[in-house]
Amino acid sequence: MLTSLVLANLKLIYRDRQAAFWAIAFPLIFLLIFGLFNFNDLNPVDVTVIDHAGNELSESLIADLDSIELLELEAGTIEADARQDVVDGESKYLLIIPEGLDPTTNPGDLTLIYDESEFQTNQLVEELIRRFLDGANLRLQDVEPLLSLTSQGIQGRPVEYFDFLLPGLIGMGVMTFSIIGMGTTIAQYRQQRILRRIQATPLKVRTFFIAQVLAWLMLSLLQTAIIMTAGTIIFDAVIYGNYFWVLPLVILANLTFLNLGFIVGSLSKSVQAASGLGNLLTMPMMFFSGVFFPADSLPSIMSSVVKYLPLTPLLEALRGVLLDAQPLWDFPVQLALLVGWVVVTAVIAVKTFKFE
Amino acid sequence: MSDAVIEVRNLVKRFGSLTAVDGVSFTVERGEVFGILGPNGAGKTTMLECIEGLQKADAGEALVLDMNALQHPEKVKDRVGVQLQASAYFERLTLTEILNLFGKMYSRHVEPEKLLEMVELSDKANAVVKVLSGGQKQRFTLAASLVNDPEVVFLDEPTTGLDPQARRNVWELIERMHDEGRTIVLTTHYMEEAQHLCGRVAVMDSGAIVALDSPAELIKSLPTPLHIRLSTSVPVPMEELEGLPGVQQPVTLDGDHYVLPSVSAEATLPALLQWLSGKGAAPLHLEVISATLEDVFLELTGKELRD
Repeated sequence: MLTSLVLANLKLIYRDRQAAFWAIAFPLIFLLIFGLFNFNDLNPVDVTVIDHAGNELSESLIADLDSIELLELEAGTIEADARQDVVDGESKYLLIIPEGLDPTTNPGDLTLIYDESEFQTNQLVEELIRRFLDGANLRLQDVEPLLSLTSQGIQGRPVEYFDFLLPGLIGMGVMTFSIIGMGTTIAQYRQQRILRRIQATPLKVRTFFIAQVLAWLMLSLLQTAIIMTAGTIIFDAVIYGNYFWVLPLVILANLTFLNLGFIVGSLSKSVQAASGLGNLLTMPMMFFSGVFFPADSLPSIMSSVVKYLPLTPLLEALRGVLLDAQPLWDFPVQLALLVGWVVVTAVIAVKTFKFE
Repeated sequence: MSDAVIEVRNLVKRFGSLTAVDGVSFTVERGEVFGILGPNGAGKTTMLECIEGLQKADAGEALVLDMNALQHPEKVKDRVGVQLQASAYFERLTLTEILNLFGKMYSRHVEPEKLLEMVELSDKANAVVKVLSGGQKQRFTLAASLVNDPEVVFLDEPTTGLDPQARRNVWELIERMHDEGRTIVLTTHYMEEAQHLCGRVAVMDSGAIVALDSPAELIKSLPTPLHIRLSTSVPVPMEELEGLPGVQQPVTLDGDHYVLPSVSAEATLPALLQWLSGKGAAPLHLEVISATLEDVFLELTGKELRD
């Protein structure tokens, strides 16, 4: 009986185009959109330099600055034109070395002019030049630096944004599919009195819902497999860890999502209402639980709330096992949170359920 | 010894302060088509669901095929057929798939092909429920109610919302189910339906059964089970019409027709014709109109059946 019911449910969900959209297309669309951006390579920044001093010191400063990989220096001639270029957005940075600069007789003030709209790189460029000048100052005063930094770049695993995004999309896909899918299904079954009709048969209602959950679990694993395959093959995301750990994680977290879907279905009078309520539940988690960006980049008050949402521990554990190749048991806190959510939502689901 | 398939005794069902079913008792014999007639909100569906094992009654007893619906609802559910009011089936499964699925829920089941053939939906076997018309959907729910080959079938408002053609069609199917030897219990608020299909009718109002008999007997029990409409070649005195055998007061005038409430046609008609010829008046138009269950309901409850 259970097998027939699970099969019937699989057929029903498979034949529902809207469900298929939420399951597969929705996460893949995100994959596609984010694939168009390039978050990894920082392009060199063009800096126009006007050298009013034109002496040995200024030339050596320019030569040293030019050796910084991130900066691409370009000599300018007329200050007024160069300033206008920044205003017009034709160049981003203008560095002006004042006339008669001399370390002993005429200590000078260099000016950096930049376009304020370029807020991402402004800080970086300004800081870079400031540091550079600090170093130059010390050398010019013949002071031996007391503290120095020797940095050793160790070639770690090059985790790119895409690799980071893929586990996020797996979690998001499973969450939206299950909450909205299960929610609308239950609402529809109640609205059309299908639950009542089932209740009129000798079948135990429990069996009906177990079959329902099994079908959705199976589909969410299929969905995960499709997203992972598409992500790695088409979009070149790299997975370092053990694929296997994804299985128990997705199942565990999905039990919570299915419970939430069940609650949504019980609280909604119509399919449309269930869809709306489902979105209301999934949207904040999608943005705050770290699907697209790390959750800890949020303001601390928010991130301390957000880390308890059911999607957050799933994503943390998924990234841990997939990106850092850690075993599942390295995440006891996340696992405890996930189990806790399953229990709490199951209790609420049972309490809110009604046949009509 | 009687062959009762359903015995209901003092059944009570409350929802908070509302008593939906208020101490109802009746018996349904094997092979009957038993109707429960009443307006919306009379408690018909609630009572039916208590007997089907779908709802738990607060007091009283309901025995179906000697099984207690209150103590062993799952046993009752396995043996009876059920059609619920306004209930649908999985939209994206085919008719055959649904009948197979529901068949598996019971300890015995009939092949989908046979069921679909009976309700003339064989050509829709591989169609999904979504594409069926209203009448076809209703026929399908009848087929689904027979999936476990039940001896007793409960039909809750089987023709509500159907056009007259589809209603006739469903009536034929119910008669066919009855011919196969099944006992049928149906609720309706259409008196023509009860009159057409049911051997006995329980008239229900505000959670109680106010009368229970065959439609003919219920009508006969009315103080005036029929009306005689009459027009004559010359006017006749109305107060003398009221004095004729079997005629009840008041005789009224409807246009150029006299309307005479009567207790029986055989008592009134011969005397009326004799009296008319004595008056030298020829009957131009003479019509005997039987009362309906609608009149029975009005007489018993003071309410119209349809609001």
